[in-house]
Order: sequence, then C-alpha cells, then structure tokens
Amino acid sequence: MSEQLITTDRQVDVSQCFNPQTGTLQRHIFTDEAIYQQELERIFARGWNFMCHESQIPAAGDFFMNWIGEDEVIVVRDREGKINVLLNSCPHRGNTVCRAEIGNTRSFFCSYHGWNFDLDGRLVGMPGEKEFYRDEIDKSVWGLSPAAKVESYRGFVFATLDPSAPALADYLGWVGRLGIDFLASKGELEFLDGVVKNRIQCNWKLAVDNLYDWYHVKVSHGTALKLGLVSDAAMAPMDQMVLLGELGHGIGGPGISEEKFQDSMRRLQAGEPASVWYDRNVADRMTGNMIEELGPVGKRSFGHPNIFPNLWVALTNQLCLRIPRGPFETELWWFTFQVNDEPEERRKFNLFMANHVFGPAGILEQDDGENWSHSTRGAKGAFGKKLPLNFAMGKGSDRMEADASGQSRIETVVNEHGQRWTYQAWQEWMQADSWETLLANHSQPPQGDC
Amino acid sequence: MSGQRNANEGTEALYAAMLRQYEVEQFLFYEADLLDSRRYDDWLTLLADDIHYWMPLRRTTTAREVDREFTRPGGMALFDNDKEILTMRVQRLSVGRAWAEDPPSRTRRLITNIRVLADADGELQVACNFKLYRTRLNSEEDSWIGRREDTLRRQGDSFVLARRHIFLEQTVILSQNLSNLF
Ligand code: FES
Ligand SMILES: [Fe+2]
Repeated sequence: MSEQLITTDRQVDVSQCFNPQTGTLQRHIFTDEAIYQQELERIFARGWNFMCHESQIPAAGDFFMNWIGEDEVIVVRDREGKINVLLNSCPHRGNTVCRAEIGNTRSFFCSYHGWNFDLDGRLVGMPGEKEFYRDEIDKSVWGLSPAAKVESYRGFVFATLDPSAPALADYLGWVGRLGIDFLASKGELEFLDGVVKNRIQCNWKLAVDNLYDWYHVKVSHGTALKLGLVSDAAMAPMDQMVLLGELGHGIGGPGISEEKFQDSMRRLQAGEPASVWYDRNVADRMTGNMIEELGPVGKRSFGHPNIFPNLWVALTNQLCLRIPRGPFETELWWFTFQVNDEPEERRKFNLFMANHVFGPAGILEQDDGENWSHSTRGAKGAFGKKLPLNFAMGKGSDRMEADASGQSRIETVVNEHGQRWTYQAWQEWMQADSWETLLANHSQPPQGDC
Repeated sequence: MSGQRNANEGTEALYAAMLRQYEVEQFLFYEADLLDSRRYDDWLTLLADDIHYWMPLRRTTTAREVDREFTRPGGMALFDNDKEILTMRVQRLSVGRAWAEDPPSRTRRLITNIRVLADADGELQVACNFKLYRTRLNSEEDSWIGRREDTLRRQGDSFVLARRHIFLEQTVILSQNLSNLF
C-alpha cells in the first residue's frame, strides 16, 4: 500500500526554480498547487518525518496524533512497547478512527460502522462479522495502514511512508544527527506537557528558510533588543558557522573559533562570571559529555539545525515542526523539553525563553508570522510570481573548511548558505522520482570555496 | 448559584450582592476599554504586583479523558506571565519595531456572563465569558472566545487584578500570533 502512496504520474519540472550559480529563486514554488502536491509525494511521503519523542507516549496505549504531509497518523505505543505509526483512516470507508490529539486507549474503534483496530493497527473485529460478512472477510489485510518504517534516534521518533528510504541514521547523516545531539547530549529529556500549535498563512518553506536567517533578527525582533531581553552581541553575532549535510540537512547560526571556545572555558573554569555573549553557550556545552559527543567543530556551533524537510531543533530545548496545510498555510508545532539534570538557573532560562519568547504569544516570535505570510502573498500575483528572489548573500565569498574529524564547516559572518542549501536540496528531492534517483543524483556539500 | 443563595438571605444581602456585581462589572468593563483604547500603561496600573496571568493549552481529548483537556501549571502555556513580563509586553509596543502591532491591530472586547464565585479575605473570584475581536490591515480578521477566571483584590474603593486564568475555545491557535492581551 505504501508503494502506491508514493508513485505519481504528475510531475512538475522544478529544475529551473533555484539557480545555485546566482542564488536566485523563482517565487511560484510558494504558491503553485501542482508543486505543492508534488511536495506531499516527493518530500513528505518520501522523507523521514518527526513524529514525537518517546517520553511523550511512555505507556501502552498512549497515543499522539501527527501528520506526514496531509496524511494524519496515529503514533501509538503498543502492548509490547513498540511505537507504531498508523494512517488515521479506516479501510472500510476512510473515516478517521481517532479524533483526539492525545490520549490513552485500548484500541481504535471506528465511529462509522464499528470496525475495531488493535494498537498495532490489526483489524480485530467488526459488528456482523458472521451475520453480514458471513465470516468471509480476511481481517489480516484490512488493518490500519502502517508507515513504511518507524525508527528512533536518541528517543526522537521518525516515520517515512517510503519503504525504500534509507535507515534513519543514514538519512540524518552526521549533520542531522549532530543537530539532534545538540539537544539529546544534554542529558535525559523529559517532555513538558503540551505542544503549542498555531497557524500562519504562509508557505511552509518560508518558515523553514527563516530558521537559518540571522539577518532578520535585529530588524524583525528589534523590540527584544530594545527591551534588553537579548544583548546586541548575542542577537545576531558576527561569528557565524554553517554545517551542511547531504539531502538538505544543515545547521546555521552563531559559532565561534576554537580559540574563543578555549578562552571562554578557561575563564568559566576559573569561576569568572560570564562576560561575553557566548559564555552562556560554552557553559552549556561544558555539562556532561557534550564536548566529546559533539566533536571539535560541533561543540563550537550554537546554530539552528534543520532536519530536512521541516524540523527545527531550537537552542531552548525545543523543537519546532512546520506542517504544511496547503501552499498558503502552515502549522507551527512547538515541543518543549526539560533536561532532568540541568542546573536550575539554566532550566529557568530555557523555560523563560520557551514561554515568553517563542510561540504565537512570544515577545519575539509574534513578529515573525506576518513577514512570512506577506512573503507568500507576494508570490501570488501574475507579476510578482514571475520575479526572482535574492538568496545570494555571501555566495562565493566563503570557504568550507575540512576537519580531521570529518566535521566540515564554513566560518564566516551572517550569510545565506543554509537557505541556498535548503532550496537546492528541495529542487533535487522534487526532481527525483524515487529514493534511488535521489541518492544517485543529490549534491554533496560544497568543499573549498563556496 | 451565589445569586440564589443571596436572594434567600434577604433583601439586604441581595442589595449588597447587586452592588458588588455592579462594582465588578464596572471594573471589568473599564479594564477592557483601556485595552481597546490602547491605553496600555493605564492598564498596567490595574495589575497587582503578584499577578499571575496564565493561558494554558487546550487539546482535543476523548470524553473519557477530558480531564487532560487543559495543560496544568508547570506544563506549557500560551501565556504564563508575571507583572514583569506583562510590563515588557506593554513596553514593546512603544519601543519601535513591534511589527505584529505596527500598524496596530483594532480590537474590541465583549465581556459577559460575569459571576462572582467567591468573596473572602478581600479577594473576589470572578468568572466571565469574553470575545476578543481583532482586525488588522485591510482584511485580516481573528476572534477568540473563551472563559476567564479572575481574582479581583479590593484596593481602596476599587480593585486590582491579582490573577487571570484564560481558557480559550481553540486548540490549534488559528491566528498567526497572539499579540493582544486578553
Ligand atoms: S468507515 Fe470505519 S467502520 Fe465503516
Ligand atoms: Fe524570527
């Protein structure tokens, strides 16, 4: 069944939409319905989608509803402790079998005619099995359709609808894994009850490209600066680092040199109070085993990871998932964690950020939505949608440095490498008709000048 | 409920309850008007220093598990603010670059179904329903309906707001932000 889901006879040629040579992007990719439908097939159904953290559904029967593109799925722990991802659609007429967004249940009972499904999706019974179906229905083939694969990385559960997808760890690659390690290596994570959800009238890609955008911060979020919530130096630091991984994963944002890292560590170890913007970040990395786990370059990056296509790992012990709701609408879902052995002061700071800075009422984030919705709107008109957008910042002026550890990176100022990498990957995913073609044709991260 | 009980306690008590109801209503209407009129600094003066301003998340659950509908204190919330943060929310509007409110949204608050649930030790527990209607730019329109549970603390011949718990009739917030005060 999964195979039928991912084959399509529609194909829109998007090969000219992003030009990596000029860093220009055609705007109609934000508004074209056919392109959107192809994204559902070739990006969301094909890729690994974040479902939930294992601690959200600890007990048998615990479930959490999520989406793979526009397919709603039930993420549920069964009696063997295994996490299943099941399409929320009854195979009898297609009705949903679960209408709650969280909960605990013994089975999924369809409200239309009463087919009943076990926690692993198996059809276990229905009214009139003997009298009406004359015992001739093969229950073993009429269960809820499972995702093709479900795997976890350090407690973070992902699913794909494509049976030919590579294993999750390979899909993430070192950059995707590092992005999750930023959070997972802090210690034992506990999910804080409640996923903050809101809708923005924007194309999902504009929300995603913004997470790499350290250019907008001082302008869009100028109030945070003026209120003293964030210092000028910390808001959009001049020290920036970009790490790019195969298949579109990336980490972009603040990052400091080894010298600065060592210097900060030395001062902190001597008991000096934090005095430079990155001292707080370095102090964070000095807990537990993080320095070794993140590696010689990774430990120095305080940027924003994106797990392609749509999972942002925020530095505030949060994840933000950007779920498409048609070309013109995106749902933002914030997942917040507490690190069990995190120092009290740090825990308070992170909760402060989660509660007051991010989310729809966030002092900082409330200003983002309109920029994205109006950028989407700007791609609707007959004139506007034919005009290219400029993603050229820093193009050709930087260098991807190799490292003996394998952690290549660009160390530079504010730039748009992460955004370019995202749209280039997007184009490659959209052009490929299968995992086989994508794996054969996708770009390797740049080396040297870039 | 309290109306019935008071009625049984005689005319005197009924008049006292009506007077108190009137005072409470006038306070809440005045407060709503300050927000609608964008007189945010004046609004801040109505808040007690120890105010807790909280809007939990709401989720769709089965009827059987409806006790999990709202997140609890300590869980995630849309607002979980003390006076310092509320002051910051107000200040941000005047420092420039508060884009969500520049141009300012137009809001109108309807406060109804006001009931005094308890009155002890100088504090009144007041429940009400509200509608906050917002338009923005040319054609954007949002509205939120919900229930509030306020604690009004007597101060002089009026009140200060010592607690506000806001329960929205939305799970996924259907607007691009919550840049207004409830
Ligand atoms: S649609 Fe589910 S039982 Fe008929
Ligand atoms: Fe932003």
